[in-house]
Amino acid sequence: MALKILVLIPCYNEEANIAAVVRRLRESCPWADYLVINDCSTDRSAEILSAEGCNYLDLPINLGIGGGMQCGYRYAWQNGYDITVQMDGDGQHDPAYLQSVVGPVARDELDMCIGSRFITKDGFQSSFMRRLGISFLSGLIFVLTGRRVRDVTSGFRACGKKLIAFFASHYAQDYPEPEAIVMAVQHGCRVGEVPVVMAERQGGVSSINALKSVYFMIKVSISLVIVRLSGRKDR
Amino acid sequence: MPESLRYMLLLGAAVYLLLIFFLLKTGRLSVRFSLVWLASGGVLVVFAACPYIVYVLREYLHMVMPVNVVFTLLFCFVLLVLLSLSAAVSDFAERIKRLAQANAILEKRVRQLEQQLAGAQPADAQPPAAQPAGPKSPAGPRPPQSE
Repeated sequence: MALKILVLIPCYNEEANIAAVVRRLRESCPWADYLVINDCSTDRSAEILSAEGCNYLDLPINLGIGGGMQCGYRYAWQNGYDITVQMDGDGQHDPAYLQSVVGPVARDELDMCIGSRFITKDGFQSSFMRRLGISFLSGLIFVLTGRRVRDVTSGFRACGKKLIAFFASHYAQDYPEPEAIVMAVQHGCRVGEVPVVMAERQGGVSSINALKSVYFMIKVSISLVIVRLSGRKDR
Repeated sequence: MPESLRYMLLLGAAVYLLLIFFLLKTGRLSVRFSLVWLASGGVLVVFAACPYIVYVLREYLHMVMPVNVVFTLLFCFVLLVLLSLSAAVSDFAERIKRLAQANAILEKRVRQLEQQLAGAQPADAQPPAAQPAGPKSPAGPRPPQSE
C-alpha cells in the first residue's frame, strides 16, 4: 500500500517565495500532498496562496512557527497521513532531497529523519555565529539524550505516524526544532539525519535577528533541560 | 497597637473581603482565581483581630518592627498571585492556540465544501436548502490530549 505523505510548509510573510516554493514542489514531487500553513501573514501571502489554488490552512491569529507546525500535524493526524515532511516556505529546502529525507521513515528505519547541512558540508552553511550556536545546542542535546544530531535547527525533517500523533498534541512553541528532537527521543522514537544541500533564503527577511538569537539560545537551552527533566523516557 | 488602628485595619480587611465576595457574586471573578485573594484577606483579618500573632512572628523571624512581618507576608501573597496569574495566562494561551488551530482546519474544510458546491451546480442555480452531511464531524477526530 502506498504511503500517504504530506509536506508541511509554514508560511509567515513569504509573498516573495511561497508561490515558487509550491510550484517547485508540485513539479518535482507529485507523489506527495502538501499543505501550506499561513500563520496570519500581514503581507499578500494568503492572497497568493488562494490565487495559485494552493492547499493551505489560514490561521486566524499568529501562533508562531511552533503553533503553526502543530496545526499541520493536527491536520495530518486527522486525515490519516503516514509521513509528514516539514519544509521551509523561504526556498531554502530543495524538494529534490525530499525522497532522501522521507526514505528512512518510509522504510521504518527512523521515526524522525532530519535533513542535515553539516554531514557533507555542501551548500549554504549559515553564518559562523549561528553554526557556533547550533554546535552548542547539538552538544547539549547529546548530553541530555545521548543522541548525536548535527543540524539541530534544520526545519527539513520527516516524521512517521507515531510522531505525527504525538506532535499533534505536544509541540514546542518558539524555535521548536531542537526541542522537538528531545521530545521525540523522550517519546521513544528513533531520530537520525541524512545529508542535504540547502540554499540561502530566496527572498524576504529572516525572522531571527541578533537580539532574537540571544533569546533563542537562552530559551531553547532552558526548554531542552526542562523537557529532558519532565518527560518520560520510554525507549 | 492602638485600638483605633486595629479597628481601622479590621474595617479595611472587611471591605477588602466584601469587595472580593461582590466580584464573585456578580461573576466578574471566578472562584479559581479568588482563592489567593481570599486567603490574603483572611490573613489580614486575623492579624487585625489578634495582633499578638504578629508580635510572636516578629520574635520568631527576628524582625525589628512587627509591621515588617505584615509587609513580608503581603509581598509573598502578591508574588503568589502574580505566579498564579502567569500560570493562568499560559493555560489560556494554550487554549487559544488549540482553538485557532481547530478554527483554521475547519475554515479549510468549509472553503473546500464551498468550492465543491460552486463547481457542482450551474452559476445561476440557487444554493440547496440543506447541505448533505459529511462523512465525519467537521472538526475531525481529536488528537490525544496532553496528560
